[in-house]
Amino acid sequence: MARKDRYQNRIELLQGTLDLLILQTLQWGPRHGYGITQAIKTRTADVLQVDTGSLYPALHRLERSRFIAAEWTVSPNNQRVRVYSLTSTGRQQLLSERSRWDRLSAAIAGVLAPHALEEEP
Amino acid sequence: MNITGWFKRHRDEELDEELQGHQRMAIDDRVDRGEAPDEAAAAARREFGNVGLVREVTRDTWGWGWLERLVRDVRYAFRGLLHNRVYALASIVTLALGIGANTAIFSILDSLLLRALPVRDPARLVLASWGQNTAFTYPLWDEIHRQTEGVGAFAAWSATRFDLARTGQTDMVDGLWVSGEFFDVLGVPAVFGRTVRDGDDRRGGGSDGPVAVISYAFWQRRYGGAVDVVGKTLTLNRVKSPFRIIGVTPPGFFGPVVGRHFDVAIPFGTEPLFAPRRSLLDQRVTWWVTIAARLGPGQTIASLTTAFRAIQPRVRAATLPEGEPSDGSSEYLRRPFSLKSAATGVSSLRARYERPLEVLMIIVVMVLLVACANVANLQLARGEARRHELSVRRALGASRFRLARQLLVESALLSTLGTALGLVVARWGSRLLVSQLSTSVSTAFLDLSFDWRLLGFAAVLSVTTAVLFGTIPALRAARTDANDALRDGRSLLGPGRRIVGHTLVVAQVGLSVGLVVAAGLFVRSFAALATLNLGFDTDRVLAVSVGGRPGTIAPGTLLAIFDRVRESAAAVPGVERASYAAIVPVTGGGSMLDLEVPGAPALSGDNRWVYVNFISPEWFATFGTPVLAGRDFTVRDRAGAPAVVIVNETLARRVFGNRSPLGAPIRVGEVQADIVGVVGDAVYSDLRTPVPPTVYIPIAQEVRQIHHDVSILVRSAHGSPAALTRGVVEAIAKVDPTLLLSVRTVRDQVDAALTRERLVAMLAAFFGVLALLLAAIGIFGVTAYAVHRRHAEIGLRMALGASQAGVVRLMLGRVLLLVGAGLLTGGAASFWASRLVKALLFGIEPRDPVTFAGAALVVAVVGLLAAAVPAWRASRIDPTTVMRSL
Repeated sequence: MARKDRYQNRIELLQGTLDLLILQTLQWGPRHGYGITQAIKTRTADVLQVDTGSLYPALHRLERSRFIAAEWTVSPNNQRVRVYSLTSTGRQQLLSERSRWDRLSAAIAGVLAPHALEEEP
Repeated sequence: MNITGWFKRHRDEELDEELQGHQRMAIDDRVDRGEAPDEAAAAARREFGNVGLVREVTRDTWGWGWLERLVRDVRYAFRGLLHNRVYALASIVTLALGIGANTAIFSILDSLLLRALPVRDPARLVLASWGQNTAFTYPLWDEIHRQTEGVGAFAAWSATRFDLARTGQTDMVDGLWVSGEFFDVLGVPAVFGRTVRDGDDRRGGGSDGPVAVISYAFWQRRYGGAVDVVGKTLTLNRVKSPFRIIGVTPPGFFGPVVGRHFDVAIPFGTEPLFAPRRSLLDQRVTWWVTIAARLGPGQTIASLTTAFRAIQPRVRAATLPEGEPSDGSSEYLRRPFSLKSAATGVSSLRARYERPLEVLMIIVVMVLLVACANVANLQLARGEARRHELSVRRALGASRFRLARQLLVESALLSTLGTALGLVVARWGSRLLVSQLSTSVSTAFLDLSFDWRLLGFAAVLSVTTAVLFGTIPALRAARTDANDALRDGRSLLGPGRRIVGHTLVVAQVGLSVGLVVAAGLFVRSFAALATLNLGFDTDRVLAVSVGGRPGTIAPGTLLAIFDRVRESAAAVPGVERASYAAIVPVTGGGSMLDLEVPGAPALSGDNRWVYVNFISPEWFATFGTPVLAGRDFTVRDRAGAPAVVIVNETLARRVFGNRSPLGAPIRVGEVQADIVGVVGDAVYSDLRTPVPPTVYIPIAQEVRQIHHDVSILVRSAHGSPAALTRGVVEAIAKVDPTLLLSVRTVRDQVDAALTRERLVAMLAAFFGVLALLLAAIGIFGVTAYAVHRRHAEIGLRMALGASQAGVVRLMLGRVLLLVGAGLLTGGAASFWASRLVKALLFGIEPRDPVTFAGAALVVAVVGLLAAAVPAWRASRIDPTTVMRSL
């Protein structure tokens, strides 16, 4: 119970961000779960390591919300893999999440650099 | 497994495959980068984390986690119950009996007291009454009908029975007299044809002649639902003019009287066809009509009552019976008309059974509590047996909540299964009960179909019982310590004392005492009534109601015919003697007249009224009622001879005190006569009240009082009079084959009058025994468990020299303490509660010490017997075996 709680807390903490990262990653084409972790890892130069205990619940939740669709395909080395792809609603979701993220990060940046605001007038 | 189950399993497999794929790819990547395969696998696993946990949190996002867990718990509980079949069966049957008894009594209560009449907008129906009385005379109804035109929608009815046979043996069905607007006011349309209208309710039949409306049930039963039933004719009570069927009422409509149903309804106006000489429609002292009204738009009970009372003086004045003083002193004029809600209809059955049903409801709730205590005890015992399992599960990481939930699910499963079985028990039981309510005199009918209220009641019972017996074991399970699993199950002293279990036993014993006391009181009441000295022999007399067909016998010859019938009946072998009378005791029929003793001070108010019966000679001898003074009537006491009467002891004492009433002149109604005899008191109609003052008048001197029928009473020389039936009927038929006969023994009649008491006594005894049995099982269980728990201790004691008798004493001592505590609390509670049943008792005080002592003794003996077996087993424990196992 206790350990499960810890995972759930982290999912909640990362929820919005992880969803955004997944959607963003899928924008360049369908990927399976392992592929997504690898892509995020590479892009962030190993800074962000996506926990599987957060990734799979997030994937299944996004699938339930119909932002992504899942399909079983056969990988190049002949393995059956579940591949996720972005749906059209998922694309819209990505846009709105992105703009929200942009506003959020701009706001946070503003807080972190107060002199920039003071210079303006 | 069902489709969702299959679907879910499929998804589980897919998720597994997905996660395995993830790991495989991670390993492959690492191997590609040059890591050793086994190192790569270990690293990938480390990186991935706990597979089971990932799977679980992912599955949680599917949104049916709770449902899945519930299904899992239910399946687990099912498996658990299957493994402990005896335990499961005992619990389910116990609950089924408790819940079934409750549902059965409630279904009768529901249909008799709560359910609305099956008519349009029953909440707007009101019932007319005056004082406590809801019966009116027909002239009163006629007048009310006329005067309320434009005031409100009034209707009237009267329940009766009709004979459908054209010749030979009677064929009785339940009938209804109705006024012309009856069906309109109640809002009952015809499913076929039409209902009675105002134009049909005319004296001697309306424009369409005598008409009849039949009920749906009768239509199905008698005509097989034939659509051409409209236009067919019925012969009622062998009246010459046939009644034409004009319509059929809807299936749900059983009539306006709850507890009865009707087959044939005919307009009041046709009554003179049945009794042309003495129509009930003209009788100002025959109270047989029930009046109801429907509130119009905007009308309230209060406003209609005001309007109704406004017409009362005119109505009363127009219908004043002969002999009633018109100066306003008469009750007849003074008691105000009133209206009360009739949404649930009217019912004599209700009046008689309302209180017993309420008491029975309390009794069955107590039985259910005993049952719950039993199941809780069983669960506690099982919980102890499962301690090890539960603590292992705790040690493996199950939360307290998880364990409690598991046990609650198990309780819910038990109570659901118990309720399902209980509904079957209830359906069967309530039907059996209602059939017991029917007597040879009247058929009881109640709509016992399951409705939402009943199913809701059963559901509430189910949940309540589950909470009652499931909470304590669940809380205990939640307290289970994970460390227990590491210790050996049985220490020398065993786990702590079972205070909860003991409390349950005390409660069970207490409730059982209450139920046994109730059973004792009701059984002894019934016994007192059944063995009551009625003042006449009940076992030797056969009553044959003999009726002449209307219009076939000239009034002047009636007496001669009845005399010949009596003679022929008396001549049948095995008949000791025969007589006849207008009224048979205990049938409920009766006649009251006012009494006046010339020369004595006028009798006041209610004392003025005495019961009368019109009898032939030898009537007292037939019934075995002793003539205490003076003489019996003889054949010489005929019309024209000096008028004579016989009075009973109560009347003689009350009116004449110590003086001899013999020879005293009295006036009863219109009869002026001298008293020639005094007879012993004999019950007139009600067994429960003291014998009323009664006057017996020779039937030969008051032929006017005979309508068409009398009852021939036949006394058997020895043995049951029922055996005489055939001979007597044949003998009477030889006198006149057109006579209508209906035969019943006086014993049956008395039994019918005791239906209520017998039923309550039977049920109370049944539930008392059931509670005792359950309590015995509970005590047995607790003692057996104590023996099991203290196994090592007892072995040690015996090894140290305790005797077998000492061990038995040790085990019984504790039980005695529990039973004693139960007896005290239960006895005190019943002592307080017994006054609630006072109204239902006869010849016994609610706090009858013998009943209380007897109940305590019975419960104590049963408790000790239940404890004796495990206590004896404790004394057989072999100390050497115990010492070796320590």
